[in-house]
Amino acid sequence: MSSESKRLRRLLMSNALSVFGLVTTAVFVTLAVLEAASFGKITPFNPYTPNFGSANLGPSLAHFFGTDFEGRDIFSQVIAALPVDMGISIAVVVISAFMGIVLGTLAGYFRGFFDEVIMRLTDMFLAFPQIIMSLAIAATLGPSLLNVTISLIVVWWPPYVRLVRGAVLAVAAEDYVSVSKALNSSFLYIVRKDALPNVLPSVLVYATTDIGSALLTLSTLGYLNVGIPAAMPELGKMVSSVTYNLYLYPTQVLIPALIVMLMVAGFSFLGEGLRESLDVKLRPHILMRGRGVEKPESGRAKLPDPMSVPTRQQQ
Amino acid sequence: MDPQTGRSILSEILFYAPNTLELVLASMVVIIALGIGLGYISGMRFGSKVDSAIRVFYLSTWSTPYYLGALVSVLVFASYIPIFPSGGNGTVGFTYNSITGIFVLDALLEANWAALQSGIYHLILPAATLALLSFGIVPRIMRSSILDTRWSTHVKAARARGLEEGDVRRKHILRNALIDTTTVIATTFGWLFSGTIIVEQIFAWPGIGQFSYTAIVSDNYPVLVACIFVFTVGVIVANFIADIIYPLLDPRITLGEGG
Repeated sequence: MSSESKRLRRLLMSNALSVFGLVTTAVFVTLAVLEAASFGKITPFNPYTPNFGSANLGPSLAHFFGTDFEGRDIFSQVIAALPVDMGISIAVVVISAFMGIVLGTLAGYFRGFFDEVIMRLTDMFLAFPQIIMSLAIAATLGPSLLNVTISLIVVWWPPYVRLVRGAVLAVAAEDYVSVSKALNSSFLYIVRKDALPNVLPSVLVYATTDIGSALLTLSTLGYLNVGIPAAMPELGKMVSSVTYNLYLYPTQVLIPALIVMLMVAGFSFLGEGLRESLDVKLRPHILMRGRGVEKPESGRAKLPDPMSVPTRQQQ
Repeated sequence: MDPQTGRSILSEILFYAPNTLELVLASMVVIIALGIGLGYISGMRFGSKVDSAIRVFYLSTWSTPYYLGALVSVLVFASYIPIFPSGGNGTVGFTYNSITGIFVLDALLEANWAALQSGIYHLILPAATLALLSFGIVPRIMRSSILDTRWSTHVKAARARGLEEGDVRRKHILRNALIDTTTVIATTFGWLFSGTIIVEQIFAWPGIGQFSYTAIVSDNYPVLVACIFVFTVGVIVANFIADIIYPLLDPRITLGEGG
């Protein structure tokens, strides 16, 4: 009985990360959607109107996160910034993933010339460091939400092409694809029925974590005051606009940054959890985790690892 | 020519680049040691509390924006518990001949112990911050490649041949897992360079990162282009070094023709 409950707890614990990620992500996405759908009506205060009578307040019940140097409510500012941060990062990842699926499928399915052109182009873009490249593009294009999105997409799509191409190459070598071809199935039919179902899960897992990275890069651009228009609320920009207050009022500076961290952590925990639970190779080990060969000396290693032979110590 | 200072950009880059190299290499040491170590422990103790703790640790540090991490470490270790300086690279007050341009190395070469001490003292906080904020991907890949290899047939075969457990772990699990990890460590350089833009600015570290930050905020495009060029070259060199290391780890890969 105890071993059964232990196993149950272990399974739950193995999902604690993904549960945390799911809850965090859901909360922030919901807030962002509500804020955008209500045209900024859900913030308790107007995030833009200065109120110098209540400047630099610490966190309280009236102002959850305190107020900034102009007396604006930081909680309201954070909520006002969510649609921008969430929207751009999700858009960047979705568009990049789409580009990756299209180009990667073409490269992996047709091989030859197509493959060469697409992959060399991808390699070229992969050589540049991401943040620096998008920084340069955003700085050159000038501040606007569209330009920031473009600057991120330019550096964001190459990994997806590699991911999808690899998966499509593997699928195209399978017998059932040859059979499908012999049955005169069209390219689109094979892609839809055979390739995509095999490719999508790994793209989905990668994309989930990747939304976090996009968010991180976007807020770094915001912190450097590049690309985000002056009137737009953005979390990284909020941080840099009050950095000089760090020693006097640390909460003003740290809270928006912590919100970014929480959002990114939500996405990466969720992606990590998804990856692990979808990994067929790991599944038996998740069920038997913590036992077997890795801890032969502890004495509680009664059940051997399902796929390993006993070691010397155990004999 | 730098339109704002009137000096040649090349001379400015040559002045700043060694400082950044010092910071990046110091963080690289931390990243390699910590990343491989934690990833190995995490993978070998898959599913234990230690594994969960390590995963939460590296996923959280990876999720932390550079500005948050750098600001917090300045606030905590330079202001609340003032054990480290909040900025600079420790050259102030020391006269030294610039041999390599890397202050710590110069001090070591000239056996100037006071300067060396000052250099290292100033290096610890920014290097540790930069390393901790960028290293997340290394243990992650290390862990997953350990999980890929530790139950694979060649490891089982090695155990069946009666090899010592230590030998199996060192030569058959660790060495295989290091191949993927090397690739990732090379890509970490890209993140490190990006990180220096923020970290150097917050720690007042006179390197390329701060130089490009100043260029960005003052719309100094010629300098910005030069900095991006230097960063890109840095990333390419890092990838090249990784390519050289592969054959040492994997005998199936050889450099050049044949093999």
